[in-house]
Amino acid sequence: MAGILDFAPAIVLLPFVSFLVALAVGDRLPKGGALAGIAATAGSLLLAAATFLTVSGGQTYNATIYTWAEGLNAVDLSFGLLIDPLSAMMLLIVTLIAFLVHVFSLGYMNDEGETGLPRYYAGLGLFTASMLGFVVANNLLMAFMFFELVGLCSYLLIGFHFREPGPPSAAKKAFLVTRFGDYFFLVGVVAVFATFGTAAFAGDGSFPVLAEAALNGEAGSVTTFGFAPQTWFTIVGLLILGGVIGKSAQFPLHTWLPDAMEGPTPVSALIHAATMVAAGVYLVARMYGFYALSPNALAIIAFVGGFTALFAATMGVVKREIKQVLAYSTISQYGYMMLGLGGGGYVAATFHLMTHAFFKALLFLGAGSVIIAMHHNENMWDMGGLKDKMPVTYYTFLSGSLALAGIVPFAGFWSKDEVLYETLIHGLGGNPILLGAYAMGLLAVFFTGFYTFRMVFLTFHGNPRSQTARDPHGVGWNVKAPLVVLGVLAATAGLVNMVPVEKLLGIKGIDFLHQWLDGGYASLTAHHYGELIPYSSSYIGSEATTVALGAGISLGLALAGAGLAYLLYDVPEPIRHTDRLGRIKTLLYNNYYQDEYQVWLANGVTRPVARAANKFDGGIVDGVVNGVSSVSLFSGSRIRRIQTGVVSNYAALLTLGLTALLVAFGLLGGWFV
Amino acid sequence: MSVLLQTAEATTPMWSALAPAIVLALTGLVLLGIDTVWSDDPNNTVLAGTAAGGSLLAFGITAWFLVAGTGQPQTGGAISLYGESLVVDGMSLFFTLITTIVTAMVAVAAYDYLDGHEHRAEFYSMVLFAATGMATMATANSLATAFVSLELASLPSYALVAYLRKNRGSVEAGLKYLLIGSVSSAVFVFGISLIYAASGSLIFADVASALGSGVSEMTGVVGLGVLMIVGGMAFKTASVPFHFWAPEAYEGAPAPISAFLSSASKAAGFALAFRVFVEAFPLGAIPAGVDWVLAFQVLAVVTMTLGNFAAATQENVKRMLAYSSIGHAGYALIGLAALTAGGPNGDVLGASMAHLLVYGFMNTGAFLFIALVEHWGVGRTFEDYNGLASAAPVAAVAMTVFMFSLAGLPPFGGFLSKYALFYSAIESGFWWLAAVGAVNSALSLFYYSRVVKAMWIEEPSGTFEIQSRPVGLYAAVLFAGLGTLLLLPAFGPVIETAQTVAAALF
Repeated sequence: MAGILDFAPAIVLLPFVSFLVALAVGDRLPKGGALAGIAATAGSLLLAAATFLTVSGGQTYNATIYTWAEGLNAVDLSFGLLIDPLSAMMLLIVTLIAFLVHVFSLGYMNDEGETGLPRYYAGLGLFTASMLGFVVANNLLMAFMFFELVGLCSYLLIGFHFREPGPPSAAKKAFLVTRFGDYFFLVGVVAVFATFGTAAFAGDGSFPVLAEAALNGEAGSVTTFGFAPQTWFTIVGLLILGGVIGKSAQFPLHTWLPDAMEGPTPVSALIHAATMVAAGVYLVARMYGFYALSPNALAIIAFVGGFTALFAATMGVVKREIKQVLAYSTISQYGYMMLGLGGGGYVAATFHLMTHAFFKALLFLGAGSVIIAMHHNENMWDMGGLKDKMPVTYYTFLSGSLALAGIVPFAGFWSKDEVLYETLIHGLGGNPILLGAYAMGLLAVFFTGFYTFRMVFLTFHGNPRSQTARDPHGVGWNVKAPLVVLGVLAATAGLVNMVPVEKLLGIKGIDFLHQWLDGGYASLTAHHYGELIPYSSSYIGSEATTVALGAGISLGLALAGAGLAYLLYDVPEPIRHTDRLGRIKTLLYNNYYQDEYQVWLANGVTRPVARAANKFDGGIVDGVVNGVSSVSLFSGSRIRRIQTGVVSNYAALLTLGLTALLVAFGLLGGWFV
Repeated sequence: MSVLLQTAEATTPMWSALAPAIVLALTGLVLLGIDTVWSDDPNNTVLAGTAAGGSLLAFGITAWFLVAGTGQPQTGGAISLYGESLVVDGMSLFFTLITTIVTAMVAVAAYDYLDGHEHRAEFYSMVLFAATGMATMATANSLATAFVSLELASLPSYALVAYLRKNRGSVEAGLKYLLIGSVSSAVFVFGISLIYAASGSLIFADVASALGSGVSEMTGVVGLGVLMIVGGMAFKTASVPFHFWAPEAYEGAPAPISAFLSSASKAAGFALAFRVFVEAFPLGAIPAGVDWVLAFQVLAVVTMTLGNFAAATQENVKRMLAYSSIGHAGYALIGLAALTAGGPNGDVLGASMAHLLVYGFMNTGAFLFIALVEHWGVGRTFEDYNGLASAAPVAAVAMTVFMFSLAGLPPFGGFLSKYALFYSAIESGFWWLAAVGAVNSALSLFYYSRVVKAMWIEEPSGTFEIQSRPVGLYAAVLFAGLGTLLLLPAFGPVIETAQTVAAALF
């Protein structure tokens, strides 16, 4: 089947080549390697678009490209590509955002006279390539490897300004915190191999399919180490979830993400919208057939997601820096995606992943544009009145904000509403945990509306509150063009899946995303997942009433939040209303002391344990090892003494040795009887 | 293609299956001819080129035979010649492959090493004759040809070790090697005579059938004979207790010869050992009291332990490598020590053969690096190597690859070959052999990494006076390094071939 799908590896390889080019000759190229990166991501984007069209024609692709370890008698370890509707969609999103971020970087990095550009573009290229490799991975081990590469690249890019004190420490924090989650992921990968003997995502022998067969009581080659299959699959699922929680910045491993704002703003856009953070949620979606088998794992995912959504939204309310607000909004929005996945809304969560990618990339790039204008001052209290000075940025940012707050008909409304709706009906079907998660998610909508518009009003409305805000720096086409593209998408992307309209008005066939994700491999379709999830649905009154009620409440809450922000902050001279919160503000401003308690955990608990382990290692293990090596050195010098250099000694020893062998074997074999 | 090959098979005479050995012998003669015709001092380039070209031609022919299936089941099985005294099959070709490629590397490296020495033509021709003997050892199918070919390989080796006539170490080492070699040959030939007495034949297959059909009253004679033949093999493979010559000979000999002896000669010894014990004394036919597998288990454990322990205490890098070479003989002996009646014998033996192939590259490379260092006149101890990487980074990288590969670290060829060897030993039920091997490998990392540490981390004590970048030595070292690296991805086909040809013996 020769076709465009055979070129799919090139989607991954092109940015990788741009990484090599930027690294090798970036300092001799105009624009520090930016053009190579733009060309590569543009090529990837075109190929991804072609792939998307081919997949929409019903073709899929799942093949092993290279087996790098085989004949181990248990498993073969390989690299392979899986192109199905989910990965094709994600490829399109990632390449589009990466392309726009590259273009935007021309304005943010080159025009601002930053140094070290080849390193920057090399990092972007590798980052994009790693994420694309992760997206197309057809097995869990390959996914893990690229997942780690993504983590490495984020470390390199967050710490780009390594001469300042903040970025290196933020980079280290991001690396270490996500690595903590990845330990569990790695153990999970090994557990999947040990359990199923394969880590393939798709096909008859893939591990979700084997797990399903095992639960149906069909005998298979599944080792569950003495646990009931259900329990064991939950354990494995939760282990892998460790990596997801780290990368997607879910409670309690979210603390790295706000610090990661130290990186250049285009990098933040890439991290938050399309790569690093998206990787975690995408992984759950990729192996949803496995999670769907375990009600407990799903419930935990949903609850963590709902809690994170609310928790992060409350912290976003009091921040002063524009990027900090966006950072907490990212954590909160990924919480919604996790809520959707855990609540049985696979399509809804994927939908939110897509719309969020567009509007969050937009908001970050918009913030980047504001930051350029403000001469790299990020404090919103120094801004104000930028609306008239930079209209393109304002209107596109407004479009992204409306989407983030979930105001109809912008993209975020449709996807967030579907996430909440799916959770609600499955919760009503007799699952109180889901109802609790739903309640938290719903409450978070209010806070989202509030902090989003607080940010918009403080930044763009009112009177300028500083000299730079009165006379901002202009931005060029390379900043505006990406904003316009994303602004349009943020406004319209939701229209691909207007489920509420379909349900209320009875127009069939406008849930395009549902149809899209129903294609491809039978074991990976939304339909199949719908059969697997352990939830039943129930409605308040009829289905249409529930839809209307759910959408109405969430829209109402979003509007209420936005309205409150309007009342408080859309005035010529806003004041710090959050001071009225008193001690609660301090608590929120310090992020519920999350960092502090984690530092306490590290210092007060881990340190003593590590010290004890060190003592054990130094005293006992090293003692034994040193003992062994001194024994071996001692006996080695004995052996050296045998080698006297006198040839007659050798002949004698040789003869004696042979004689000893002959006598021993003769006695043993009974030759002399 | 296959039709063409078949017609070629049909029309070429049977003896052409020996083409690799014949080419090696003829190249040796041509070298002597050049020496005679050329008036006083033959051109070094011509000599080295002829030697390397001849061995590469032999290598090419062997590889072609191996790929085309000569002597293998798909083209009608092993080709036996001259009244069954020689046999060409997959295993013989596999070992000829090792011998010829090592010979080629040694010939290229010697081009620079011999610069300014006399009697170069003799050097090359003796290398080629020894290689002929080694290639014949791999094809020997009777105890008589086994002995003759072993001597053909050994006699030039004695002279080659003593090649540096003005160097006392070299001459002394050559003499010791000759003396120990003579004792060992005496033991070997005595063992052969005992086996002949018991079985009435020298052809391996006939020995096996004679032993199988009731010689139980002569168990003692057979047992003595078998153990003495084990001794002969232990000499050639530098295994305990016939290893005493090895440290001295490897240290005293010109470094390319050390490489040649420790890689090619050792592999040839194993080729002969594998065939003798599998064909002449098969586990099913041998009398119950003659437990040669147990003997090899003892030898394997003692050899690898002694080699590694002694290597750990050396101060001289070349001598360390000599002991490490003894240790590796111990690993390769697992191929015989883990055989069982009806077990996965092909896998074990094949893994051992594959290890010897990888070893051929990494060990030759390591000794050739020593040759390079000797050529520069840098000292011999670990301290003398301090900071060498700053003066010769490329060669130091290659040496680092050899050291880590010898220690069995990924991502080098030595990792997979050792892994396959230990894995197949476990598969046959000899987990303890694998465990001893693994412990020894861990110990070996200590002394191998000392070299790496000296080269890269330590500060140089003085300045190096490195004026030249000898092309031949560099080419040979880098080729060996490349081989060591490429054998990681290419290990799949290598181990498959080795295990297939080994399985054909059983």
